[in-house]
Amino acid sequence: MQTLEAMNVFVEETGGWVASQLEACTRCGMCAEACHFYQGTGNPEYAPVWKLELLRRAYEQRFTLTGKFKLLLGIDKRISDEDLDHWSEINYYACTVCNKCSMVCPMGIDLGPLLHEVRAGLAAAGKVPDDLMVAVNKQIEEGSPLGMTSEVWDSRLEWVADDWDVVIPRDVKGADTLVVFSSIEVMKFPSNIAAIAKILNKAGENWTVSSKAREVVNFGFYEGSEEHTKLFLQRVLDGAKELGVKRIVVTECGHAYDALRWLAGNLIPEANDFEITHITGVLGELVGSGRIKVKPGFFDENDSGTITFHDACKIQRRGGYIKEPREVLNILAPKSFKEMTPNREEAICCGGGGGVIAIKAADPMRYAAFELKIEQVNKVGATTVTMSCSNCRLQFTDGVEHFNLDWKITGLAQMVADAMED
Amino acid sequence: MNWNAFLEFVRGPLFQVSLLVFVAGMLYRLVRVLMLGWSRDNVPSKGSKGGGVVKSFLKSILIWPFIPWVKRTFSKNPVIYLAGGLFHLALLVVLILGTAHMLVWKSLLGFGWATLPLPMVDWMAAVGIAAMVALLIHRLVNPVMRLISGPSEWANWTLVFLPMVSGYMLTHHMFFRYEVLFSIHMLVVDILLIWIPLSRISHFIFYFFARTIHGVEFGKRAVNP
Amino acid sequence: MPEETVHQYLQKQGVSRRDFLKICGALVGALGLTRMPPFDESGLPGNLKHTSVKPIDMVRHALETKPRLPVIWLEFQDCAGCSEALTRSHSPTLVNLVLNSITVEYHETLSAAAGFQVEEAKQAAMKKYAGQYILVVEGSIPEGDGYCTIGGKSALDLLKEAAAGAAAIIATGNCASFGGIPKARPNPTNAKGVWEIITDKPIVNIPGCPAIPEAFTGTLANFLIFGSLPELDGLRRPKTFYGNTIHDRCLRRPFYEAGKFAESFDDEGARQGWCLYKLGCKGPTTYNACATIKWDAGLSFPVQSGHPCLGCSEPNFWDGGGFYQGQSAPLNRPAVTVVGAAAAAGIVAGAAMGAANQSQKKSAARKSKKQKDA
Repeated sequence: MQTLEAMNVFVEETGGWVASQLEACTRCGMCAEACHFYQGTGNPEYAPVWKLELLRRAYEQRFTLTGKFKLLLGIDKRISDEDLDHWSEINYYACTVCNKCSMVCPMGIDLGPLLHEVRAGLAAAGKVPDDLMVAVNKQIEEGSPLGMTSEVWDSRLEWVADDWDVVIPRDVKGADTLVVFSSIEVMKFPSNIAAIAKILNKAGENWTVSSKAREVVNFGFYEGSEEHTKLFLQRVLDGAKELGVKRIVVTECGHAYDALRWLAGNLIPEANDFEITHITGVLGELVGSGRIKVKPGFFDENDSGTITFHDACKIQRRGGYIKEPREVLNILAPKSFKEMTPNREEAICCGGGGGVIAIKAADPMRYAAFELKIEQVNKVGATTVTMSCSNCRLQFTDGVEHFNLDWKITGLAQMVADAMED
Repeated sequence: MNWNAFLEFVRGPLFQVSLLVFVAGMLYRLVRVLMLGWSRDNVPSKGSKGGGVVKSFLKSILIWPFIPWVKRTFSKNPVIYLAGGLFHLALLVVLILGTAHMLVWKSLLGFGWATLPLPMVDWMAAVGIAAMVALLIHRLVNPVMRLISGPSEWANWTLVFLPMVSGYMLTHHMFFRYEVLFSIHMLVVDILLIWIPLSRISHFIFYFFARTIHGVEFGKRAVNP
Repeated sequence: MPEETVHQYLQKQGVSRRDFLKICGALVGALGLTRMPPFDESGLPGNLKHTSVKPIDMVRHALETKPRLPVIWLEFQDCAGCSEALTRSHSPTLVNLVLNSITVEYHETLSAAAGFQVEEAKQAAMKKYAGQYILVVEGSIPEGDGYCTIGGKSALDLLKEAAAGAAAIIATGNCASFGGIPKARPNPTNAKGVWEIITDKPIVNIPGCPAIPEAFTGTLANFLIFGSLPELDGLRRPKTFYGNTIHDRCLRRPFYEAGKFAESFDDEGARQGWCLYKLGCKGPTTYNACATIKWDAGLSFPVQSGHPCLGCSEPNFWDGGGFYQGQSAPLNRPAVTVVGAAAAAGIVAGAAMGAANQSQKKSAARKSKKQKDA
C-alpha cells in the first residue's frame, strides 16, 4: 500500500533534526508570504507549511501522544492514497525548494530539507509526476535526463571544440580540476561550454572533463529518492577518483552544486576527499586576482541598456557565492549593472528549479511565479538579465518566449568570456 | 459561589498540580525529541557555523520584532511580524518586568529583581491585547491561516488571551470584585500551564533548536541568515 | 413585667435628654442610616413603619421602647483579643453607648466571678432570656475531643447548648468566624468557625484579628434598633463594614497606581509612604473597614503605620502564602523534591517514548533496506 511506503520513509527519516523543527512551527503562516508560487497564484495550498503537512502528520501520528490522541478523537486524519496524489502535485508542481521560506520563518525552520523529505516519501510511494520520472529513468539508463549518452556527449563536445575553436581536455589523468558540465549547457547552451573552456584555458588551469562524470545534473535529487541521488553522485565521484583530481568544479547548474557540495559528503564519505566548488567562485577568483584579463566596462560600451543579475537559489542563497557575481559585473558593466529588488540571499526564485520546468502540468504555476520576476526586471528597467545557473537561464529563456518579452538572457561565464582580452 | 474558597483552590493546590504537569510535560517533550537521534555533518563548511548561529538569533530578536522591513523577504505582510513581535514583547514586559508577576517568580525562585513602573507595564499589556486581537483577525481572514489552523490553534489563542485579558481587568478592577477576577485569572493560567506541554505553545523551547539549525545551515554556506 | 428600656437605663446613668438625642444621632451616623432608601424599599421590619420616616426618630423610638439586649458571650479557642479591643475602645459616645444598651450576662474574661457560680449564672440567664439573647462567640471551636473544655464540658457542647436559645449569633473575630489561628496548618484541633457547626440560627461573622470594635458594636446596634441582622455578604459579614476592600479605600492607593512600591521596611519608599504591595500587603483581597474606620478611634491602621495588611478578616489568612510574600504569588509551592520527582517522571516518560520511537525508526530502516535489496 502506497501510504505505508511513504510513511515508512517519513518515519525512517525523522530524527531530532526534523522533529525539533516540526515542533517549533507555530502555524504563523509567514512562509507563505515568501513563496513565489503562493504569491503568484494566491492558492493557499502552496503555503510551504502546508506542503509539509504529510510529514507533520506522520511525525505526530507515529511519534507523539497528542498526535495519536488527535487521531482517536477524529481531529486529525491519516494519510490516504488520495492525499499522496494531492500532495505530489503541490510539492512537485509548485515548489522549487528555493528555501526562501526558511528565511522568513520566525522560528528559523529550514523548510528546504524538510520538503526534500516529503519528496522522499512521495518517491517511495511512486507518486512522482510522470514527466519527472521519465527524466529520472533516462538519467539512470542513459546517464542524463536529456538523453546525453556518452556518444552524444562525445559528439557535442567535439562540435563545440571545433565550432568555437577551444580546447576541451578530456579524461586527463592527474589533472588538478575536474569540470562537470550540466546537460542543459551541453544540449541547450553550448556556447557556455566554450566560454568556460576558454576562460579556464586562458587562466592556465590544469583541468579536464570526464566521460564517466559527464553529467552534473541530478534528477534523483529532484525526485527525492536518496538511492537515485546517490547513484548519480557516485558517477561524478567515480570520474573524479579515476582521474585522480583534487578539485571538482560544478559549472552553471544550481541544484547539482547543492547536492554535490552539501549532501554528497554525508551520503558518500569519499566526496569529502575532494574540494567541491562552483564556476561562479572560480570566475570571481580568476577575474579578481587578475589571472584572466577582462576589458573593464565592456558591456557599457554598446549602450545595450541596464543589465541586472538574477540570483540563483542554489548558488547564491544556498551556495554562498554572492559577492563574486557583483565583483565581476562591477568590472564588466559598472554603469549598466543595476540590482533588482530583492536580491542576494533574499532573491526571488526564477520558478523553474526543483524539477518544475521538466513537468508540463506545472507550466501554469511556473509562469505565474515567473511573473514576479518580470515585475522585478521591469521595475529596475533592465533589458539584459544575467545569471550563473543554466536552469534559471532555461526558465528565463522560456519565459521570455512565453510572455513575448524583449530581454536578452545570458550567463555570467558567457559574459566573462566575451569580455576577455586576448 | 464562594469566590474566596475558589481563589484559595486555584492559587493553591490547582496551581501546584498545573506547575508539576508543566514541568513533567515539557521535559517529556524535550527528551522525546532529543532521543530521535542526531546525525553528524561531515561536510566541510564554507563559512562560520557559529557566526551564523549568532546572526540567526540576533536577527530574530533585534530586527524582526522592531524593524522587519530591513529584511525584504516579508514585504507582503508586516502585520504578522509586528503584531507577533509586539505580543511577545508585551509578554516579556508583563511577565518578567511587571511587579505582580515578579513576586510570583520571587516566591518560586527565591530571588526577585527590579521592575518597570506600573503605567508602563500596563500600557504594554494593552498593546499585547491589541496585538492578540489583530492576530486573531488575521487567522480568521487570511486564506493560508484558515487552511493550516485547527482546533489546537484556536485553543492556543484562547488560552493565551484569557490570562492577558483577565489580568488586565484584575489590575484595573474592572466590572467584577477583585477576588472574582483573581480567581478567573489564576484558573485560566493553571489551564494554560497544563495546555502548554500538550500544544505548539512549547515552541518557545524548540525555537532554540530551529534557530540554531537555521544559523548553522546558513553560516556554513557563508550566507547571512 | 416591662423591662427597663435602654432610655430608662441611660437616664439612670445620668444621661440627659439632650445627650440622649445626640446619642441617637451618633447611632444614625454609625449605621449609615442617613442614606436609607424609602421605607418600603428599605427591607426594614414592618413593625417600625408607624414611626416617622426620619432615621433619628426610628432610633429614638427603638431606644425608648426596647429593653437592653441580653448578651451571652462565650470564649473558646481564643486569645480574648476581640474582647480586649472592645474594652480598650475609645469611642465614648458610640461603643460605650452600645455597651450600655446591652447587658452582658456572661463573659469569662470580664466576669469578676469565677467557677461554678458564674456557670450557674449563665444557665439562669439562658433560661430567663430564652429566645431573646444574643450569643456572642469568640474563638474557634475544636471538633476534636478534649482540646477545649470549660467546667468539664466540651466547647462543642457548650456552643450547641447556648445556640439553642439564642435569637442570633455574632461570631466575633476571625477565630469564631473562620477558625482563625487554631485552624492554621496543620490544624491539629480540627478547629472550625461557628457557622460551620450551627446551621439553624441567624449568624453574623465579624472577622478580623481582632475584629474592629465599631464593626461589632455597629452590628449589635442594628439588632437593637431593627431587631434583625444587617445585610450580609457571602461570608456572612455585614456589608456596611465589609463591603469594600482595604485596597479600595487605602490611603496609599495612588502609589499603587503609580507603581511606587516600598522595597523593604524603612527604606526611602517606605518612609515616603509608598504602597506596600511588594512587602506582602493583602489589601486587594481583604474586605474590612480598617482603611476607613481605622483603629483607636480612627487613629491609624496597619498600612498607614507602615505594615502590610495581613488579610485578617479573610478565611485562612494564616495559610495565605505568608505575610511578607507578594499577594500575587501562589499560595503553595510544590517542594523541590516534588518538582524533582515530576521532572524525573517527565524525563523517564520521554525516554520511554523516545525509545519506542527509535525502535519504530529502526524497523522502518530495516523495511526499506529489505526493499532495496529485493
